[in-house]
Amino acid sequence: MDVLDQILPLVKKPARYAGGEWNAVHKEWSDVDLRVAFAFPDVYEVGMSYLGLQIFYEIVNRRVDTLMERVFAPWPDMEEKMREYNLPLFSLESRRPVGDFDVVAFTLQYEMSFTNVLNMLDLSGIPLKSTERDEKCPLVIAGGPCAFNPEPMAAFIDLFAIGEGEELISELLDSVRKGKQRALPRRDFLLEASRLPGVYAPGLYRVEYRTDGAVSKVKPVQEGVPARVTKRIVRDFDQAPFPRRPLVPSTEVVHDRIMLEVLRGCTRGCRFCQAGMLNRPVREKKPSTVLEQAAALVESTGYDEISLTSLSTSDYTPVSKVIKSLLDQHAQRGVGVSLPSLRVDNFSVELAKEVQRVRRSSLTFAPEAGTQRLRDVINKGVTEEDLLETTAAAFREGWRAIKLYFMIGLPTETDEDLDGIVRLAKEVLDLGRKARVPRNKLRVTVSVSSFVPKAHTPFQWEPQDTLAELKRKQDYLAVRLKERGLVFNYHDAGLSFMEAVFARGDRRLETVLIHALELGCKFDGWSEYFNLERWLEAFRLSGLEPAWYAGRRYDYEGPLPWDHINSGVSRRYLAEEHRRALSGVTTVDCRTGDCPGCGLCPDLEAKPSLAGGV
Amino acid sequence: MPVYRMMYAKEGPARYISHLDLLRTFERAARRAGLPIAFTSGFNPHPKIAFAAPLAVGTAGEAEYADLELVREVPVSSIQRDLSGTLPEGLRLVEVRRLGERAPALMSMVERATYRGEARLKSAVSQGALDRAIEAFLGRSEILVQRKNKAGENRVYDIRPGIFAMSGRLDNDIIIIETELKTGSRDNIRFEEVVEAFSTSSELPIEGKYVLYRTCLFSAVDKDNKTLW
Repeated sequence: MDVLDQILPLVKKPARYAGGEWNAVHKEWSDVDLRVAFAFPDVYEVGMSYLGLQIFYEIVNRRVDTLMERVFAPWPDMEEKMREYNLPLFSLESRRPVGDFDVVAFTLQYEMSFTNVLNMLDLSGIPLKSTERDEKCPLVIAGGPCAFNPEPMAAFIDLFAIGEGEELISELLDSVRKGKQRALPRRDFLLEASRLPGVYAPGLYRVEYRTDGAVSKVKPVQEGVPARVTKRIVRDFDQAPFPRRPLVPSTEVVHDRIMLEVLRGCTRGCRFCQAGMLNRPVREKKPSTVLEQAAALVESTGYDEISLTSLSTSDYTPVSKVIKSLLDQHAQRGVGVSLPSLRVDNFSVELAKEVQRVRRSSLTFAPEAGTQRLRDVINKGVTEEDLLETTAAAFREGWRAIKLYFMIGLPTETDEDLDGIVRLAKEVLDLGRKARVPRNKLRVTVSVSSFVPKAHTPFQWEPQDTLAELKRKQDYLAVRLKERGLVFNYHDAGLSFMEAVFARGDRRLETVLIHALELGCKFDGWSEYFNLERWLEAFRLSGLEPAWYAGRRYDYEGPLPWDHINSGVSRRYLAEEHRRALSGVTTVDCRTGDCPGCGLCPDLEAKPSLAGGV
Repeated sequence: MPVYRMMYAKEGPARYISHLDLLRTFERAARRAGLPIAFTSGFNPHPKIAFAAPLAVGTAGEAEYADLELVREVPVSSIQRDLSGTLPEGLRLVEVRRLGERAPALMSMVERATYRGEARLKSAVSQGALDRAIEAFLGRSEILVQRKNKAGENRVYDIRPGIFAMSGRLDNDIIIIETELKTGSRDNIRFEEVVEAFSTSSELPIEGKYVLYRTCLFSAVDKDNKTLW
């Protein structure tokens, strides 16, 4: 009759905290040298949908000398009970306090989860600031896309892991184990670990600012600490560690299916897209590997759906062949295949038709901008013709609902580009009518997000539109997208504003995060919890101006807060891409064999690898 | 197509699996076990697994029942063996049997269920005091609880007629309540409601909350309880 069994009946969805899922690994604490808690700073259903968790869980638990257990951010109702009953944050497997682990590993997938990280540290009784932790505290590490501009979180994280973690995690754990055996003092350990390629120990760097507040330099405080940290990549992606017995949640999660990664990286080169820049080079799995892993996963999970995941699965060279083989092997057992995203072309409609023989839902395409001019600016290689042909084909094939993703606030955007969104949406709707989709079933959803300039992209120097301007543009679209069959959705512009602040922020934002936590900012990715006023209050208390971060044109020549993190894509290339964007010149996909010269391959001694075949 | 009745326990972490999720959990376990599950036809096929009576999230079940339809005959012993090896922690297959052709639907059979609640006492209570509290509770002509109907309106409902028996015992500082309640698609009595009403009226010095178990399900005709087996 432990405390947890008293609390769980009182909270929503207690299965989030119960553990015991299929394929969960329970290792004896006394049998291993190191215990790692994988901490996902959002609720269970979101964290369990993250493939990276499954990959690290496999790697760390396969080692004989280490174990990994999981912990997620408790939903506010659970947090309230935990605080009331003085129950510290605990892992799902052994139900031990997170503070008892040797390493707590966070993944930073999203800027607006930063306060959840802080809140989880607080619930674990771990001091928020790295400098306040003593030898008994777990080592707090973090990776993920937001680690590419780690500065806003620098005060709270002992070590950042930059880039892909499959190999780095093991090297890092070896280093932690040796440090522990030699009883190395924390600071000496950090110094030693900082020499591992891909490790950034923010405490060993000092930041200098110009009089206007902009960062002028981030430099090591000590000899032997690298001036620049280069991201890690897995060279042999085909043979990279892959979880063959992934956890299968007992409660429904966001991606409740087999996630089979077929390809890493995307070389289309959309200029706003951080994932496209950070995940280079493009690497494809061999079809035989995919088929073999799929068979193992169907067997070990019992799922009825295999999702072929990547940033752009219809780009996977042997995609048709692989889908056909998967269906041949598994369809008769009721196991289907799905694709998470589709390119805007007829080939994608063919693929969708192939995989969605059973389940028919809506199709989603992302033209991103409303005019050809602006699509050329962002290097989105989609023409109006592509979109119209593709959607016409989709309607012909029997789809009745089409979703279109656009972005507003892109560099050089004018109201003409917004008119373009309206025109495209109406033309697509018209195609639906012409294809005789029943009026009451025909639906074109226009989903509009606001552009957020991100570090390590060609648009990293660009200002974000002001909040007022973004709202004006949303209203502009809302009045014009009123028609039977059209649905208009848009994201909270205030949230995008805050994202932009933290995406390009510096170390001074640590104070804002602490104030925000105190003011109750958490789960900000969830619209019911996001409250812009509270964030603005946190900025006021810190004496910082959010618009200075989000709405400023960053100095082209001057230093950037993330200059010491090397994504492999050269700054020269980003600047060149930025210039080409402003003159509306597009850049080719490196898959075509024409190297646009992003600099990654020579810098990281890597090269793209395609599976070949059609 | 052949139907198999499973008796299973739902304990430990599995007690927090909701009724809806339990269907998915069994479906996946059956697929892992390589069992040829039968599916409903139609737009959204779902596996033909039928449960006797939903169990409230958080309440453990010691002898629960579900019927599983397969597309072909599989020996009971291999179902027992294979499915036992693929259920997640806390779900335990107790026994499997092949149903006859005209067996009635499980859900329509359920009439009664027995429950057990355990709680820690803050201070000692005598058996006599406990018996008197139960006697007083059962002696009430009506026990009213608030329930929300489907429209979300609060309704007052008398649960007394659905409480058939109740007893209590003590094991050191643990109090154990056992009861038999009306269960099923009509006039279902929730054990939490009974425990809550009893806690309020008896004023026994309980620390925290009762931990709840459903111990058995019955197809009952008057006093003659029959298990669903």
